[in-house]
Amino acid sequence: MITLWHYLAVAAAMFGIGLVGFLTRRNMITMFLCAEMMFQGVAINFVAFARYHGNLQGQVFVLFIIAVAACEAGVALALFLMLYRRGKSLDASDWQSLREMGVPPTVDTVPLPVEAVTEDDRLAPAGVRPKHIPSEEEAARV
Amino acid sequence: MSDPIDLALVILGLPLLACILAAYLAITKRSAAKYAHVPLILGCATGAVLGIILLLKVAADHDHRFISDPMTWFAAGNLKVSFQIVVDPLSAIMLAMVTFISTWIAIFSSSYMHGDKGYARFFAIMSLFVFSMLGLVLSNNFLLLVAFWEGVGVCSYLLVGYYYEKPSAAAAARKAFLYTRLGDVGFLLGIFLLWKMGGWNMSLTAMFDYMTKIPPDQGELTAACLLLFCGAVGKSAQFPLYVWLPDAMEGPTPVSALIHAATMVTAGVYLLARCAPLFAMSPDAQIVVATVGGITAILAAFIALAQNDLKRVLAYSTVSQLGYMFLALGTGGAISPVFAVTAAMFHLFTHAFFKALLFLSAGSVMHSMGGVIDMRRFGGLRKLMPVTHLTFLCGAAALAGLPLLSGFWSKDLILEALTKAADEGKSYTGGYYILLLVSLVTVFMTAFYTFRAYFLTFWGPERIPEEAGHHAHESPSRMTVPLMVLAVGAVFVGIAVEPFNHKFSHLLEHAPTLLQAQAVSHTDMIPHHFNKWLASIGTALALGGLGLAFVMYRKGTETLPGAIEPVFALSRNKLYVDEVYGAVFVKPGGVLAFLSSAFDGFLDAMTRLISSIPRFVGWWVRPIQNGLVQFYALSMALGLTVLLTFVVFRIAR
Amino acid sequence: MNLFALSPMQESAGQIALAAVLAIVGFAFLLPQPKGRKVAVGIAALIAASAVFVAWIYTTYGQPMPDIIGTVLFCLFSAGALLFGTALVVQSNPGRGAIAFAFVILSTCGLFLLLAAPFLMAATIIIYAGAIIVTFLFVLMLSHAGGPSDENNRSREPLLGALAGFAFTGLVLFSLYLSQGGAQAASAAESPKIAQRLPAQVLTLEERNTLLAAVAKLDAVEEQLAGDTTPIAERGRVDDYFKGVQDQIATVAGSNTVISQYGSIATRLEKVGEKVTPLRGDQQSLRVLRQTAEVRKQNEKAYDAVVNHLFDSKPDRATVKAELRTLRDQTLLLAGVGDLPARNVGNLGYLLYTDHLLAVELAGTLLLVATIGAIAITQRKGAVA
Repeated sequence: MITLWHYLAVAAAMFGIGLVGFLTRRNMITMFLCAEMMFQGVAINFVAFARYHGNLQGQVFVLFIIAVAACEAGVALALFLMLYRRGKSLDASDWQSLREMGVPPTVDTVPLPVEAVTEDDRLAPAGVRPKHIPSEEEAARV
Repeated sequence: MSDPIDLALVILGLPLLACILAAYLAITKRSAAKYAHVPLILGCATGAVLGIILLLKVAADHDHRFISDPMTWFAAGNLKVSFQIVVDPLSAIMLAMVTFISTWIAIFSSSYMHGDKGYARFFAIMSLFVFSMLGLVLSNNFLLLVAFWEGVGVCSYLLVGYYYEKPSAAAAARKAFLYTRLGDVGFLLGIFLLWKMGGWNMSLTAMFDYMTKIPPDQGELTAACLLLFCGAVGKSAQFPLYVWLPDAMEGPTPVSALIHAATMVTAGVYLLARCAPLFAMSPDAQIVVATVGGITAILAAFIALAQNDLKRVLAYSTVSQLGYMFLALGTGGAISPVFAVTAAMFHLFTHAFFKALLFLSAGSVMHSMGGVIDMRRFGGLRKLMPVTHLTFLCGAAALAGLPLLSGFWSKDLILEALTKAADEGKSYTGGYYILLLVSLVTVFMTAFYTFRAYFLTFWGPERIPEEAGHHAHESPSRMTVPLMVLAVGAVFVGIAVEPFNHKFSHLLEHAPTLLQAQAVSHTDMIPHHFNKWLASIGTALALGGLGLAFVMYRKGTETLPGAIEPVFALSRNKLYVDEVYGAVFVKPGGVLAFLSSAFDGFLDAMTRLISSIPRFVGWWVRPIQNGLVQFYALSMALGLTVLLTFVVFRIAR
Repeated sequence: MNLFALSPMQESAGQIALAAVLAIVGFAFLLPQPKGRKVAVGIAALIAASAVFVAWIYTTYGQPMPDIIGTVLFCLFSAGALLFGTALVVQSNPGRGAIAFAFVILSTCGLFLLLAAPFLMAATIIIYAGAIIVTFLFVLMLSHAGGPSDENNRSREPLLGALAGFAFTGLVLFSLYLSQGGAQAASAAESPKIAQRLPAQVLTLEERNTLLAAVAKLDAVEEQLAGDTTPIAERGRVDDYFKGVQDQIATVAGSNTVISQYGSIATRLEKVGEKVTPLRGDQQSLRVLRQTAEVRKQNEKAYDAVVNHLFDSKPDRATVKAELRTLRDQTLLLAGVGDLPARNVGNLGYLLYTDHLLAVELAGTLLLVATIGAIAITQRKGAVA
């Protein structure tokens, strides 16, 4: 028999995973999705309690949570768009200008792994590799 | 509208309305600011007409007094302060006089101040000034009176410091404000003492009724009266607080006219007249008042002898004349208070006309001389400015007390009061005798310095300073018409209301406050009469002064015989009063200020030491604020975890 | 499990801590790092963590499972939610992360359905489907064409972040354990109490089962009545049947946890409605209560009919049959109520527009403001980098 506690435990675990994601991932969209997952954990809590108490107050609360989450999604995505326009990146760590005066900016020391560029990457968008690569003059004639 | 109270409220409201309109113009409409004088002139003119109607109504009423229904302003415990106005002969005369004089001053200044950049501001403050004075005159409650009293003080501060970019003007304004404030301390203390003594009443009429029924302790009453007198000394520029008034010349000349004639300095005299029932019960306070008045009168007259600044001569003459008024008021303990107050108020009344006239004439002179007011630099303006010359002559003659002019009658009344006090007074007859002599000497000196100024300005060869430029001609009609009107007043107002028909004294004889004072003073009413001997002596002295001035200054230049040079030097240096004050009060104050500053420095050092601790801590933890959102969230989550751990395991144990 | 002779509480705390540590280790290895990550170790740790977690749940709350389908579905959905949640967090490609999130939402919706919240399920799917699609578009639009990038291949403080998250979770679980049931359950090795700590369904599964059993019995009684030729001989049996049915229905009402708070049903039957009303506001439960009362009344009526018409000299079987038929139908209806609250939407709407009207208005305003805000933010001038 599944009890209230099962639901609560699962909800807590979901919340925790979402929290870890929010704290560690640097892509703002992923952070946002993790926050939504935390919302879902809370929503499960509410619905389980609603079931437990045999009334609908919890469900009503979850409806409001969904409404707020929708608002949040709208504003957050608009903000992401703005930030992306400015920084050409979705990295949350790019925005450090609100730090205290005199504190050096946090920079990443370990370099990113360089992916070896294989020959395939230079292939033409479609079709097989032509036997004869045309010179520029020929290309211009065509 | 026919109700006297409503009428009085309308008179009170008109300048306030004018002030609001002018202030609005000053703030917003740059283009319409040149019409800022219209509200004040209209308001004051209407007020003057209504004031005369009101005066007639009061005279016709058999009670001679109207009190408005009290309207609670605030109340706390025993203290009930209500907005209540009283219209009786005293306040009605003041109302009519203030509005009438203000009207002509306003008309004069609309021309005098023409083109000034603070034109609208000037008229806004002028309106507020008139409003405050009218409120002061009307209020029947001590705290309300104080409020308007301070309003007058603020307005004088603003107007004296009107040219606030000029350091001397700012300093003069500050001086005026601080000196009057010094007196106000005593004034407030006196009010609170009276409040306690007067059965916890703040209303003037209720307080007087209470105290005449239940006579208070004589010592306390004297103390309270003297404290009230402190306020009057500050406001009316009496010895030892008179030094601000001559410096107040830094303001525009119409302001001086307003301060000296209609508003501000007359407030102190009015206050004492209104509180006559209190002073009548305290002869000790009265002799102090009279003595201070006498000292001021002769001191100021002496200083005025050798001043070279035309306006300064007039300013010292005002101080001196106010001293006269206080002399008259001070006789109220020895002879009938009605007579004393009548004498003082009558002098106040006539003085308002001729002093306003003199100041406006001086303003006219100054206007055409391009702002120069030093009598050594111009002279012989008789031909150049005929109207100003004649009107100034009228004013000077009235001030000197030449026979049949208004100053003569009022001064005569004061001398009469002093004679009575010296002759038949109940107490301090010797003191009053000395004061009589003092005032007679002052009459001579007054005539001398007044005509000295007149001869130096208008007689002798024509001399015009280069600053005058093309201004050096008679002033425009908007300035000369008020001069002429006031000149007529200065000549005829005295003879019109007192010496033959006794209208003025009849009116005041019926003032309930003064009747109350009469009742408590146990003195006899003094019948109207004319003391030929006294008048002759006064006339002789005045003519003597005039003659001496004519002999010495008819050439329009100052050439002093060597014998009196030291005397004039003393006078020129104002008896070194400012220097004495500097040595006695300012220097010790400076030492005290230095000590305080050193202590302040020590405290500052301590504060810096203490503040360096959080600064150090801040420097230490500053790297935490690294601007990374996720770092902040992480700190929050970790903190929450720690908190939760604590909570959970505390509960588990 | 009592290996180290610890108290149940310590044992439980140890299990939670172990699961949390394993999860921390797993996430620390799995989160994207520029140096590369040890996938195998991470997954192993996570599997271990979930094993410990499941074991803890089983030992603490686990019971024999009468409702197998429900249990299976619950396990499926919650495992899906956690698995895809983990995938979302550790996936370096945000596009794939978004897909994982979609599955998280689906699993959550399954859980909602199990919790008798079909409207919420629908709403969540609709709204998040929209949100996810938009997000997905954004990801496709904005993410770099290829190659590792700062935002996708780096993590901020993976160890500390995982520590914070899972320490928090562990503490929440432990406080759950402390606050209700768990402590007593573990102290009393076998705990019947836990079975009562069910989510209060409108009708619990047990109640439903007993109702269905009662229906089956009623069917049997009807068959017997139909083929009856010797009333006297059958008399005892029929009586037994009726008594059994009656008892079952009484049990149905009596086992309703909320009603039983107010004492025996038999004495308080009439007052049930008014007693309960202020405590249980939702229309659904009230309706069930009313229905239960009706069933009970019908039960008495049928019993009377049996006693009056069946056991006398000339039995009136038609009346008895009709009464029994009505009783059977009503019982079946009552049993059906608990399955899926069909009136969930209506009840929610009723509640929203009565008790929470202001909140609804505020939420609507908030949505409007957010819309305007989003437009205003993106329209701002001078944003061109």
